[in-house]
Order: sequence, then C-alpha cells, then structure tokens
Amino acid sequence: MARMKFLCDADRCIECNACVTACKNENDVPWGINRRRVVTINDGKPGERSVSMACMHCTDAPCAAVCPVDCFYTTADAVVLHNKDLCIGCGYCFYACPFGAPQYPKVSNFGSRGKMDKCTYCSGGPEVDLSPAEFQKYGSNRLAEGKLPLCAEMCSTKSLLAGDGEVIAQIYKERVVKRGYGSGAWGWQTAYRETITI
Amino acid sequence: MSYGTEETTMSQKNKDAGLDRRNFFKALGAGATAAVAPVAVTPAAAVDPGKDETKARYRESEHVKDFYRVNRY
Amino acid sequence: MLIKRKSADVQRGRLQSALGGLASGVMDRRSFLRRSGLVAGGVAAAGALQIGSVRKAEAAVYGPATGTKVVKNICTHCSVGCTVRAEVANGVWVGQEPAWESPINRGSHCAKGASVRELVHGDRRIKYPMKLVDGQWQRLSWDQAVSEIGDKMMEIRAKSGADSVYLLGSAKFSNEGSYLFRKFAAFWGTNNVDHQARICHSTTVAGVANVWGYGAMTNSYNDIRNSKTVIFMGSNAAEAHPVSMQHILTGKEEQRANVIVFDPRLTRTAAHATDYVRFRSGTDIAVIWGLMWHIFQNGWEDKAFIAARVHGMDDVRKEVAKYDPKTVEDITGIPGEQLKRVAQTFATVKPATFVWCMGVTQHSVGTANVRAICTLLLATGNVGSNGTGANIFRGHCNVQGATDFGLDISNLPCYYGLVEGAWRHWSRVWGVDYDYFVSRFDEVPAKGGRAARTRKQNMETSGHTSTRWFDAANLPAEQVDQKDNLKAMFVMGHGGNTIPRMPDAVKGLEKLELLVVCDPHPTNFVSLGGRKNGTYILPICTQFETSGSRTCSNRSVQWGEKVVEPIFESASDYAVIYKLSQKLGFATEMFRPYEMVQGKIGLEPTAESILREINRGGWSTGYTGQSPERLKLHMANQDKFDIVTLRGAKGSPVENDFYGLPWPCWGTPEYKHPGTHILYNTALAAKDGGGTFRPRFGLTRERTLPDGSKVEDTLLAEGGSYSLNSDIKDGYPEFTMGVLKKLGWDKDLTPAELATISWIGGNTIDNVSWSTDLSGGIQRVAMEHGCVPYGNGKARANAWNLPDPVPVHREPIYSPRVDLVAKWPARPDERTLRIPNLHTSVQKAAVEKGIAKSFPIVLTSGRLVEYEGGGEETRSNKWLAELQQDMFVEINPADAAARGIRDGSLVWVTGPENNSKARVKALVTERVGKGAAFMPFHFGGVFQGVDQRGNYPKGLDPIVVGESVNTITTYGYDPVTAMHEGKVTLCQIAAA
Repeated sequence: MARMKFLCDADRCIECNACVTACKNENDVPWGINRRRVVTINDGKPGERSVSMACMHCTDAPCAAVCPVDCFYTTADAVVLHNKDLCIGCGYCFYACPFGAPQYPKVSNFGSRGKMDKCTYCSGGPEVDLSPAEFQKYGSNRLAEGKLPLCAEMCSTKSLLAGDGEVIAQIYKERVVKRGYGSGAWGWQTAYRETITI
Repeated sequence: MSYGTEETTMSQKNKDAGLDRRNFFKALGAGATAAVAPVAVTPAAAVDPGKDETKARYRESEHVKDFYRVNRY
Repeated sequence: MLIKRKSADVQRGRLQSALGGLASGVMDRRSFLRRSGLVAGGVAAAGALQIGSVRKAEAAVYGPATGTKVVKNICTHCSVGCTVRAEVANGVWVGQEPAWESPINRGSHCAKGASVRELVHGDRRIKYPMKLVDGQWQRLSWDQAVSEIGDKMMEIRAKSGADSVYLLGSAKFSNEGSYLFRKFAAFWGTNNVDHQARICHSTTVAGVANVWGYGAMTNSYNDIRNSKTVIFMGSNAAEAHPVSMQHILTGKEEQRANVIVFDPRLTRTAAHATDYVRFRSGTDIAVIWGLMWHIFQNGWEDKAFIAARVHGMDDVRKEVAKYDPKTVEDITGIPGEQLKRVAQTFATVKPATFVWCMGVTQHSVGTANVRAICTLLLATGNVGSNGTGANIFRGHCNVQGATDFGLDISNLPCYYGLVEGAWRHWSRVWGVDYDYFVSRFDEVPAKGGRAARTRKQNMETSGHTSTRWFDAANLPAEQVDQKDNLKAMFVMGHGGNTIPRMPDAVKGLEKLELLVVCDPHPTNFVSLGGRKNGTYILPICTQFETSGSRTCSNRSVQWGEKVVEPIFESASDYAVIYKLSQKLGFATEMFRPYEMVQGKIGLEPTAESILREINRGGWSTGYTGQSPERLKLHMANQDKFDIVTLRGAKGSPVENDFYGLPWPCWGTPEYKHPGTHILYNTALAAKDGGGTFRPRFGLTRERTLPDGSKVEDTLLAEGGSYSLNSDIKDGYPEFTMGVLKKLGWDKDLTPAELATISWIGGNTIDNVSWSTDLSGGIQRVAMEHGCVPYGNGKARANAWNLPDPVPVHREPIYSPRVDLVAKWPARPDERTLRIPNLHTSVQKAAVEKGIAKSFPIVLTSGRLVEYEGGGEETRSNKWLAELQQDMFVEINPADAAARGIRDGSLVWVTGPENNSKARVKALVTERVGKGAAFMPFHFGGVFQGVDQRGNYPKGLDPIVVGESVNTITTYGYDPVTAMHEGKVTLCQIAAA
C-alpha cells in the first residue's frame, strides 16, 4: 500500500510561497493560520536555501504520542489526521512536533487556544468524505477525489513533491543523478526515520 | 441529502444580496451549516475513527499520474 | 499576541534541529515579519477562526466534484502567462486546479497565481461608480458618472485642447482592450496615451528594436532549457517571474548550465546561481564593456557571425578599449578576474542567453544599457538560435501585448509609428476617413522659442510620457510642448505610486481638474494628495470576468475565457470604453466593425471581433495569423505542445504550430504560419517560423576611411546568411510591390490580392509594402520564395540616430562616486519628447551641494514575490497580504550598526529631493552590500509618515499599506523614452 509523503527539493525551492497561498485557497484557511509555510536559512547570504514546511505526516507521529485526549489517528495512506471534536486546544502537540505544524485559531496567554488546525495532506478528517461538515472543519479532501495536496500540485518549480513515498523518492533520485548534487530529502530522517540513498 | 432547496436559496440570495458578494457567500455558508447539522456531528465519527475514516483514499488516478509526469524531466 | 511571538521563536529553535545539516540559522524575511506582529489593516487574527468560508458553499450545495464546469484563463499577474484552471459552479468561482497541460506552467503557480481566485471574491473590490464631493465619496450610477466625466472632458478639450487630457492605459488590458484604448485616443485626437511599458521595458523596446528590428524577447522561457550559460542582470526572476524558474532550474540541471547573476543584491535568484557578481547600481554599461574588453582581448568573439550579420562592431571595439579591468573595477566594484571568468564562460560555453529586467531598463541610460547587452550577444553570436538570445522578461501579464498595440505615445498599433502612412494604414483598417483624425488633433501655438504645429504635425508628434505626467501639469505652460498644460488624467488600470518624485506628483494631482481612476481596486491615485473634488472611481472587472487574448513575454498569444460575470457593478474595459465613446460622440464610427453584445452596463464589443480587426491590420508585427479560432484551438490542445520547442505534435490539430502563435505569425490565418518561437532564426524557413535581422535603418551607410575617402557599407546581410530555403541567397531589403515586380514574383499574386494592392497603392502601387498590403499577398509570395517579408539585414552595434550611438558609461545623476562624475558625466541638458530633461544640471547641483556626503547610501528598488506593480490589487488579497505585512528597507549590518539601527526597528529613509522622507522597518541583512539599500516598490497608502487609509472610500483601503519607495526616488530620465531612474538614487537612513 502506498505511503504518502512530502519531499521538498531544497535545490529547487525559490521561496515563492505558491504552496502557502494554494493551501489557503484550497482549504479556505483563515488569516493567522498557516498550515504550510516556507522557511529560509542563511537568508541573504551565500548558501541561502528555502524549504516548504507543513505537517510531514510522521511515522509514529510524536503529536499523537503526547495528545491527552487521543484525537490523532493515522490513515491507511499513512496520513496523520486529527479529530477536532475531541481536541481541547492544550497545545501539547505543538511542543512535540519537530516541524512546528500545529496551528491554533485563538491567541491568548492562558487557557485553550481553540481547536488545533494543521495540514491534512488535503485529505479531510473523520467526517464523511467530501461532506460539507468535513470541509468546514478540515478543508478539502483531494485524496478522496483522486488528487494530491494542492501545495505540491501548484509548486512553481516542482520543488515540493507529494504522493506515494516510493515514487517521489524515485523522482528525487533522478534529479540528484542528473544534476550531480542534492541537499538531501529534507526532514525525512526526523519524519520517516529514513533517507534517500542515491 | 437534497440539494434542491439549497440551490433555490442560493439564487434567491444572489438576487437579494445584490452588490455584496461577500454577504452572499456568508449567507450561503450559514444555510449550508444548518442543512448539514445532523450529519456533521455523528457521535460515532467523533469518538472512534473506525475503518471508514482510516481507509486508503489515495489512488494513482490520471490526475496523479500527470503530477508525477510533470515532476520528472 | 505574546504567545504567537513566543511560539514563533520556539518553532524556529526546533526547526533548526529538524533542518539538520541544511540549517545554520533560521531567520528570514518572513519570520522577521512574523515577529513584527500578526494583525494588519483591520484583518483581525484574534478570536476563533473557522476554516472554510467560500468553499463550504460549494461543498454544501454541489458536492466538490460535481456540477462544476472548468474554464481556462491566464494569470493576471506577471508575463510568464500561466494557465489558470477555474472550477465554476452556478456562476461562482469555487476552486482552482492545476493546468498540467499548459506548456508554460504545467500546473504550477507562484503565490500570486495560486491566489487569483480571491480577486473575484475580494470584498475590497470597488462596488459601484463613485465621485469625490468636498472630500466625501458619493455613489453614482454608471450613466451619471460617464455623463459627468464626458462633459468635463469636453469642457477641457474646448478650453485647453485634446492633449490636456492624459489617457493612461494598462498592461492589464487584454490585447483587444489595449488596441481599443489606443484607437480611442486616436478618435479623441491625442498621442498622450501610455501604459506601464513606459516604466518597465520602454528602454528595452526602443533599444532592442534599434539593434535588430523588433522590441521583444527573442526566445522564450521554455527555450532557456537549451542554454548552457545564462546571465541574469537586474532580474530577480525567483521573485518576479517564479514559474520561469521551473524552466531555468530544470535547464540548469539537465545542461549542467552556468547560471550567473549580476545584481547589487544577492537575490533569491542569485541563491540558485553558480556565480554571483555584485556590482554598484547604475554601472551596467561599464560591466558589459568590461566583459567585452576580455572577449576582444582574447579573441573570444564570433567573427563569422559578426561579419555576416552585424554592422558597426568596430565602433564598439574602439569604445570598449577604454574599459580595461582596472577602470571597470573602479567603476563597478567587480574584481577583474571574476569578470574575465564570466566573459570567457559567456563567450565560449554556448548557447548562452542574457536575461534582463528593470535593473537594467529603469535608468536614465536605460536604452544605452540595453543596446550594450545586445552588442554583447551579437559579438558572441548568441542571437537567433536555440538556447541563445535576449530573454527580456517583461513585467505585467499583458505588457507585451499592450506595447504591441501601441498604448504608447509614439506609435499606432503594431509599431507603425505616427507618420502619415501609418495613420492612413489604420484609417483604411478602421474604415474611417484619414482627414477625420487630422481634424481631431490640436493646433499647437508657437511658444518657448519653438515653432507652431499644425493639426497634422501634432498628430505625427510623439506624446508626453506617463513618467512625467505631473511635470506637464506643474511646469510653466511655455516649457510644455503642447497646446496647454495637463488638466485631466483618465487612468485605466495603472498605479499612482509607480514613478519617482511622488512629492511632485502630489502637487500635480492637486492641479488636475479631473481625475478618473478605473480599476478593480482603488489605486494610489485615489489616496495620494489632498483632492476634494473632481475625482471619479469606476469599477472595472478583472480579466477573469471577461474574455480576450493576452501576449506573454515570449510573444505567445493566449486566449482567456470569462470565468465569472463581472462582480458587483464592475464592467469590462470594452464596455467602459464604448460607453465613454458614446458620450463623446464617436462610438458609431469607432465601433462599427465590431459585433456588439449586451453587457451589464450596456452594449459592448466582443473580444473576438476586435481581434479580427487586429488580424486585418497587424501586418508589421505578424499579428495577422492569430485568429480567435486558432488561439482557442491552442488553448484546447495545450497538451499537444512540446515543452522545449513549443511545437505542436504531429497528427494533432495544432501540428507544426508554435504554442500561442508567437508573433510574427505572418499572413492570413488561413495561411497557417506557425508563429515564430525564436526571432531571427535562420535555421528555419520563413514560412516555418524562421527569420533574419530586420533591415530598417537604410540599405547602406557611409563610412570615412583614415585617408579621408568614403566608402558605403552595406546594411544587408552578407556571407551567405539567410533563412533556410531562401530563394535569395544573400541580404535583401523589405518586400514591396516594386521589389516583387523587379524579381518577377508579382505574377504569383492572386487577382484578389492584386486588386487590394491596387486599391491601396493607387498611382504609387510600387510603394505598397509587406506591412501595408491588407491582402497579405506580398507576405505570402515572399514566404513562398523562402524570404522573410521585412527583408534580410544586419543588426547594428552602432545606433547612429540615437543619443550615445555606441553606449558609454555615465555616472548616475545622484552618484555616490563624485570623483567619477567629471570623467563619466551625465548627458547634457536636452529636451526629451515634450519637456526639458535636465541630466547635467541636476547632476551638477547634486555634486555642488555635497549630496553624496549627506546621503551616502545608494538606494535601489525591486519586486517581492507576493505583490505586483503598485500593489493595490495584491495588497488587497488577504492570502497575499498576510505574507508581507510591512514595508521595509534592506540595510547592510555595517551601515545599520553605524547608525544604531536594530533589525525590525523603525527608521526614516530620507531622500535628496523635496525633503522627502519615508518611515519603514529596517531589515538588516547582508543581502545588500555596504553602502547600499533596497526597498520594494509595491507599497502605498502611507505618505511621509502619514497613514492615508482615510482617503480611500470606506472599506476599500488595501489590507496592507506602507510607504512608497518612489517618495524617495529622484530625477533622471532616459533620453529616448523618458524612462525614469528607478534604480539608483542616494538616501540617508536613521533610526526613527
């Protein structure tokens, strides 16, 4: 069975933020919530590189391990989803997440931050597939429509890959061989406990 | 679920709202919420994501194949 | 807010460990801004936010994938031309899907393209016509608004003349809208009609056309996949043309290509380069001649190419000799060895291409900059074949098309110029008497020592440029070379913060009796200054709410289909131009050829029928073959085109065509010319998209030898250079009926073609040419003989009829190197177009006042990926606005430390003219060198520290506002096109 993954080819990412606005557009994510964002290292210096980041849908997801109400679940596609009806907005998952993926709608010093929101790999949530309720709480369910996350589909330079982990690893390998270098599959060791060997 | 009534609502709202597209959408949204309320919070779905929720949804559709193709050289 | 800030820090700390070997410190423009706060412009982040607003409607009513139709249009932002695939349900644009089939973007978008759906949902769109009455905005009906505007225009016309109404058009128009607006100006009787090309690539168009014939990108984004060396200069494609980087980075990987970036800033594009060359802003010619010095010194030039296809290279050789490595390093700051390495790479690792943008063009020596680069391409034989060329990345989505259709002070559509023959040509196409147009123009009285002009002379005189519209309002009438000063601005789709000297623009705005702003969003024209009356706002829909064609940078023409009906009370450009023409009394004549349909505010012409008229008249540029039917066929068969060659697949309905029929697409649509992917490409036959350099500068040129005797050099191609399968194996002039007769080829004309030619020519039939023959016969016969209709000439390295025929380095008007000004001074004062151009006076005054001491930092400007142009549209888009909430200035850590400026703190940037000042955030970064600063140019709505949100109609202020860089930028105008100096001035920065 195919295992869904994200792979950001840092040698292609130009920090154009198409992934960010594509996500907003597709899921109608409100101002202040960023399911995906682009982070740049060595900004303005030689060696500047950018990577697009969101929930990586980890193997043995640390968010799920710390959740006091057990609202996370992993689908057969290996996508990590959560149930907003159970979420109490405690923020533990935020501190557990190595990628800073969880987002909260409320901004306050104490108490609940509101229901956590994060990238769903464009595959909705526990409600009925493609139902209005699912869209309202979680956004679109492209996987159920036979599509992939829109962030990757709209990436300007084909830097952000999504889909079957084996297929995208193969695509990435071809690139590294063709160009003779590669910064590595960013975040894979942390998320999936593996790397891509060429 | 019947969508017929919603469509009627929409075209009416469309006329009523006149200029304000934004309100038009808001109105629609509210209607939608009301209409689907019974479906939205099914207790079973909320508590225990059973097999249906965790089933595989990914398939290598033509759309997905196109994505892989444009990402290759 | 506190939590948010803290959590951002936590995220960053953790990210650094997750980034592993890749990371050595996460701090970038966006986390910088995230720290600066989350809430901007009335969009509250606090409170419980619910996912899903617009889409839930769709989900509820239709189900996500059912009941929707797919409509294809083209992104309305940059010139790359990405296909937008819109899902529409019951008249609502509910989703955007990737268009895999487009050979240009293959599904991809940048931040702007991925958010265009918001444009037709935005609640900051203008809802209905409005006018300013004693400082208050009042709602009007369309009829009332157009009636009042028309009356005022007629009043100004009667009092001050037609030239006193400035018609400022837009690179956001479709081709049909651009053409219609130019035609409108002709009927109104003025050449004061312009658009954004003036401020982005006017110097490119003038420079390139004066070198080899046509003012456009020679190759394509896709073709760069073939390049082995790519130089970017003054182009930050990663932010300005993000999807182009797909082709460039893929090509770089496949070809193991050298990608070399010349820029004062280490841009996001430079981050992906193999070599980055930092140089001082405004020294481009010295850089290019520095490269050429090494090329000539080492014999790396392409001697055969020069001999066969270039005139005047020896004149360049003489000038280049002055630019030895030491001199060039002193001027530019580039070490000689680095420049030598780049020169060798560019000249020998071929094919090589040169990409430039506004870093090259927006200078008071812009046209000369452009010609210098063209000369480098010619010297190395890098023009006219795959992987080579002048890849000029244009700016807006249809700036190429708007330029082509003469939204320009010196041209009728398709570069016919303003001469009598041009007017007669278009009069024939429009079916209107030539004398009618003569009667519409002003008589200009003698003044300021200048002779009077008759109506006919005024009709043939270039207009006033948009870069200096306010000078035409502010200067004493005697200095302005038209009947009277400017009294009205009629602005369609153009920002008010896009040109330097904004304090002077404010004064100009206050002088205007009438200001009309037609746009989807209120632009800075609305918010700037203190107007209380006489300003009108008309709501125009975006190109997603109407149909039409647009020409992307590579000259491909793409048809966009209307996605949804115009929202609120907005109307299309076509409808508004028609309505105003009706009021002004020439609608019947002007719109007679078109198919009219009922729109929201009245009748409007169909884009198809306008394009058909263009096809009937656009011979000079090969805009004749792109019929609506052929363009629509291409859009329906996008997947049939090759990603590298852009050729349509064998056996497909678009077999052999190049995608989008890039102009020139010669002959009638029925002739089925495939369009021209690569200009001047002799490896293909003329009828198959081949070409030659265009001989448009005469046939010979006299040269004086050292002994005083004179020789005539030919300006036609030599040495066996001609396009494939040419019957004439040599250079040849443009085709006329006379030439056909001489060759005996006139017998190949059909009787119908001959009849048309006779009708046009009358007694002087021999003078009817490939560009005035409305039958297309002359073009057809030439191509059937393998010849290019415009001839086979040489490119020229010496443009003898322009200022600085061979470019020379000139220090910027406001130069930090006062010591170099004496040796490399600005041009002498002169008149450019209708007003004085005081290069030397201003430069001298700056030196005398010691400006370089009190304003020691070189300031340049540029783009950010999430915004475009003046920025009102994109700053009103919540998905984009969230990403970039503050105007800022990039300042080097050394300069910041010396001034006690902390990263993220507020600073005052002050400029050397008008006591100008701007309050912005400091972004302390090594991206800019010591002594240099950068500000993005998309901001407006704050002026010299004062927030101007209150000047916008209520609720229509952009989400994000900020100071405009052009408050600080200064005097300086190109002597050919009056392009402003947007890329070099001096400033001082101090903590606020």
